[in-house]
Amino acid sequence: MTATQTPVLSRSADVRRRMRGTGDRGRKLKGLIRLLRPYRGRVILMFLTLFAATAAAIAPAPLAKMAIDKGITPKDVGALDQTVALFVASAVVYLLATSAQTWLTGWVGQRALADLRMELFQHLQTLSVEFYSKNRSGVIISRLTNDVEALDSLVSDGIVSLFQGTLTLFGTAAVLLYLDTQLALATFAVVPILWIGGLLYRIASADIYRRTREKIAAITSYLQETLSGIRVVRSFGQEPRHMTEFAQLNEANRGENMKTVYLNASYFPAVEMLSAAVTAGILLVGGAAAVSGRLTVGVVFAFVAALNNFFDPISQLSQLYTTYQSGMAALDKIFELLDTEADIVDQPTAVDLPHIEGRLTFDQIQFGYAGPDGAMALNGITFEVPAGTSVALVGETGAGKSTLAKLVARFHDPTEGRMLVDGHDLREVTARSLRSQMGIVPQEPFLFSGTLADNIGFGLQGATREQIVEAGTLVGLDTVVESFNEGWDAPVGERGVQLSSGQRQLVAFARALVSDPRILVLDEATANVDVHTEERIEEALEKLLVGRTAVIIAHRLSTIRTADMIVVLEHGRVVESGSHDELIEAGGHFSALHRDWMDHAGPLSK
Amino acid sequence: MSTFIRLLGFLKPYRRSVIWSLLLALGAMAMTVALPLLTGQAVNAINNHDGGKSLKLLALAVVAAGVIRLALSVARRVVAGKVSLGIEYDLRQRLYGHLQKLELGFFEGQQTGQLMSRATVDLQAVRFFLGYGLVFVVQSALTIFLSAIAMGILQPKLAAISLLPVPIVVYVARAYGRRSRPALQEVQQRIAELTAEAEENISGVRVVKAFAAEDRQLERFRHATSRVFSQAMFATKLQAMFNPLIAFLPNMGLAAILLIGGRDVIAGRLTIGAFVAFYAYLLMLIGPMRTLGIMLGMAQRATASGARIFEILDREPALTSPEGAPPPPPGGGRIEFEAVSLSYSGSNRPALSEINLTVDAGRTVAIVGPSGSGKSSLASLVPRLYDPQSGTVRLDGADVRSLDLPSLRQSVAIVGDDPFLFSATVHDNIAYGQPNASREEVVRAAQQAQAAGFIDSLPDGYDTRIGERGLTLSGGQRQRIAIARAIVADPRVLILDDATSSVDATTEREIKRALQSVMEGRTTLIVAHRLSTIALADEIAVLDAGHLIDHGTHSELLERSDLYRRIVEKGLPDNVFLNRKPVESEAAGL
Repeated sequence: MTATQTPVLSRSADVRRRMRGTGDRGRKLKGLIRLLRPYRGRVILMFLTLFAATAAAIAPAPLAKMAIDKGITPKDVGALDQTVALFVASAVVYLLATSAQTWLTGWVGQRALADLRMELFQHLQTLSVEFYSKNRSGVIISRLTNDVEALDSLVSDGIVSLFQGTLTLFGTAAVLLYLDTQLALATFAVVPILWIGGLLYRIASADIYRRTREKIAAITSYLQETLSGIRVVRSFGQEPRHMTEFAQLNEANRGENMKTVYLNASYFPAVEMLSAAVTAGILLVGGAAAVSGRLTVGVVFAFVAALNNFFDPISQLSQLYTTYQSGMAALDKIFELLDTEADIVDQPTAVDLPHIEGRLTFDQIQFGYAGPDGAMALNGITFEVPAGTSVALVGETGAGKSTLAKLVARFHDPTEGRMLVDGHDLREVTARSLRSQMGIVPQEPFLFSGTLADNIGFGLQGATREQIVEAGTLVGLDTVVESFNEGWDAPVGERGVQLSSGQRQLVAFARALVSDPRILVLDEATANVDVHTEERIEEALEKLLVGRTAVIIAHRLSTIRTADMIVVLEHGRVVESGSHDELIEAGGHFSALHRDWMDHAGPLSK
Repeated sequence: MSTFIRLLGFLKPYRRSVIWSLLLALGAMAMTVALPLLTGQAVNAINNHDGGKSLKLLALAVVAAGVIRLALSVARRVVAGKVSLGIEYDLRQRLYGHLQKLELGFFEGQQTGQLMSRATVDLQAVRFFLGYGLVFVVQSALTIFLSAIAMGILQPKLAAISLLPVPIVVYVARAYGRRSRPALQEVQQRIAELTAEAEENISGVRVVKAFAAEDRQLERFRHATSRVFSQAMFATKLQAMFNPLIAFLPNMGLAAILLIGGRDVIAGRLTIGAFVAFYAYLLMLIGPMRTLGIMLGMAQRATASGARIFEILDREPALTSPEGAPPPPPGGGRIEFEAVSLSYSGSNRPALSEINLTVDAGRTVAIVGPSGSGKSSLASLVPRLYDPQSGTVRLDGADVRSLDLPSLRQSVAIVGDDPFLFSATVHDNIAYGQPNASREEVVRAAQQAQAAGFIDSLPDGYDTRIGERGLTLSGGQRQRIAIARAIVADPRVLILDDATSSVDATTEREIKRALQSVMEGRTTLIVAHRLSTIALADEIAVLDAGHLIDHGTHSELLERSDLYRRIVEKGLPDNVFLNRKPVESEAAGL
């Protein structure tokens, strides 16, 4: 119940890693350029406005110098007015250019992010079910959300600040050099100090801020967990312990954050101090030069006035580092995901499956997950399901029932052998044409937030209201709907939480039924439902099966009895198949399981 | 406004530090304000061709002011940082402590996400404002004020003209803050929608694929994406309008100084040094003007966040035990429900009405009934997860409301249908109710719960971490750990919420054995859905729509209760071939 410790790298290796930033800049740069290419016109315009805005931002100091040297000192009011006019003009240019640049940057950045989100989403949809079983959904979701947002802050604040800061820095340096080379070079003497200070700050802050993020993340997840598990906390009366543990995390967070306070308290005032020192230096050196007549008062003044433009960007650039780092890390993860290749794709030669009858042929099928033991999930499965009949798959956990059902829907391809529908090898047809003629009812019916009608209509693109109501009525949802104020338009809530598990099951039936599929794949629900729903589900199931080919992962004896054929699986092999009565008579595995049930329910069944 | 004053109350323990940080800020500001004056003096000296002593002295003064400011700023930042983090700590501690006191009913009426956002986002807004914002407001206002005085002394007319942009900038910055905040919040809102969309699609990917609905889902996602884009552009437009304006306005002040101040210098009404000082002052004020406006906006946000936090803090815990209440009296766990009625807020139908039921010490009673009949509600009354509106629940003769709450709950253990385990080691989870339990006790409990076998095969045995970034366990394994957890807690009353609903036949037999061993010598209430669990019970209570309609042994009830017969026949699935895979990996079915 404590935060996980991160491995401690040796100090010097850590520093080196930090200075290097994240790896493979080339790929990331290429990726970014690819994202921005469609909008190159706007990107170019953005840079033009950025240049204009920066130039206008630098202008005041030399203009002020001009006002003093050309207007005030020679007492030339006309020249003063002209300079002030230029000053105002440059301010207006700044206003307009910055405004345009802000808008353009926002547009290009947001557009590129939207494109990236779409690209990621589209890519995720091409990935197979296996990918989703191997990766935690939270991690995948965070690619689409947190990582894209980390990139967002880089795009919307980071990149502009980076360019603007750099431009301002170099522009100001140029202006200072132009005003007076000697004084400018003297001023630049401070650059290495600032630069080294900034670098040290970066290295230290990246590290400390990462740790503060970890600490606050630990607090958040602890909070999340104790809130989700509040029932357990309460029923074991463990509140005081959680208080103590929380206080420890809270204290650790405070301690880590205090380090950022010390760091910032030493860095930023020091930069301010340096600025005052440079001002003094300019006054001293420049003043002496002015007194000796080598320089005008205006130049000395312009140096003092331009100092902010020189110092601010250096501080600013130092602070950008953490944004840059997390944005780059996010980019790494995003590109890694985009590089994951889809493993089940339609072959280029794949054809659309014609309207099918629904004959299923399992032909010498082998299937093995790449497990460490290399065991086969399915081994030499061969049987046929005639069109319009139902087969019940029976066996212990891990016998291969679900895998077999997944092959029918082509969520996986068999490692060896063929899976045929009406004689078509599924590898040679498009997934869409297969699945649109197939209805699948998962064991845990996953519903989407939306209305009841939306969820039923999910099964068929462009389903009409009539089709939806018909399918719903067929499975007995009409009586459920009567109790909702909004009828078929009642929202089901996130994942269907507003409905009972039995009701969700019925919706999943209706969803599978609305497209009038030829083949049904049904993972029978095991959830406990009340008497009334149970009866309704049984009735619905009967209607669902009429005239269709059905593959049922069966758990209930009542379902098993109604199936035309029972296939008993054990360790990925078919050990028995036949009708219910045949198998009971044969006295093999199935009859043993059946006996087991009789014993089990024994004390209660008469 | 009252919220704001209450928020200031959090500063109370840090009164001295706050005063110190204000004093330090004042000192640092005085130094900052002195700098342009000194610079101006230096320029005057230069202009008078006085390159000697006074210029050096002035340069030295600039450095001295810089050093003093450095010392004061460092101290100020450390003091203010301590206050800020202290407030954050206090606030979080108070909020968490309060949440731990609130009754369960409170949490059921709230979304966890909502509570989380108050404990993180709102808390952050408050502590940032109290810790930093307030100091910034004071500091910025002070800088502007002191500079205005200095400028006024130099030349009142020019001061008035060149300070003209100040109120405008503050006003514009505040207006920007007010408009951009809702706009940015709406961006966040739409990003949250987009996240929900993405989450649903990824969690339900099997359904999407099963119905070949990829294109339709892509279209929906495109819609969500473009909603984010358009709102982000709206926020960008505000930014493009206001930000450059905020930077532009002070430039007009500078232009005014050049134009009018320049003429004054030419006319001899102003020294060149004062002119330079004016210019430097206005440059220096650009930051504080902007900060002041933005911080005033932040104060508004902090107040709104504060109000949401107080909403929680102001809620009195509804379920408490009297001061110095005794632990449950010694006994074997006899439970009496006497005319107990319970209704949940937001529901017009009572969950339980007038229940009278006595369970003798050591007996096992199964509660059966259709879903929503009140089975779980009845059981939750014993450890006082809820209090009934009327009637009394007694444990070994004592009204549970008169007992010390933690002791009461420690004498009752619940094993749920889908038990919640913490992301901690297996050992810590089993020892949850008795954190000091030794490894031997934990192992013994695991053996009794038939969990020792699979725990030994875990990568780190009892030290294997469960959950987030750790290992996922199957439903049956989680249940057995929950049973072991109950055994270690050694309660006198055990509540089983159908602990055997999601496992295969072999596992079910093991769990049944585990249950029989944990039930020994304890009073047990079983919230039952299944035949095999009912078989563990000595007697059965039948509930329907909150009423206790019958109570007796299995055979008695089969004889005389019509509902019970129907439940036995239809309502209890015969899960002989029940072969479910772990729920975690198969959440979306298939």
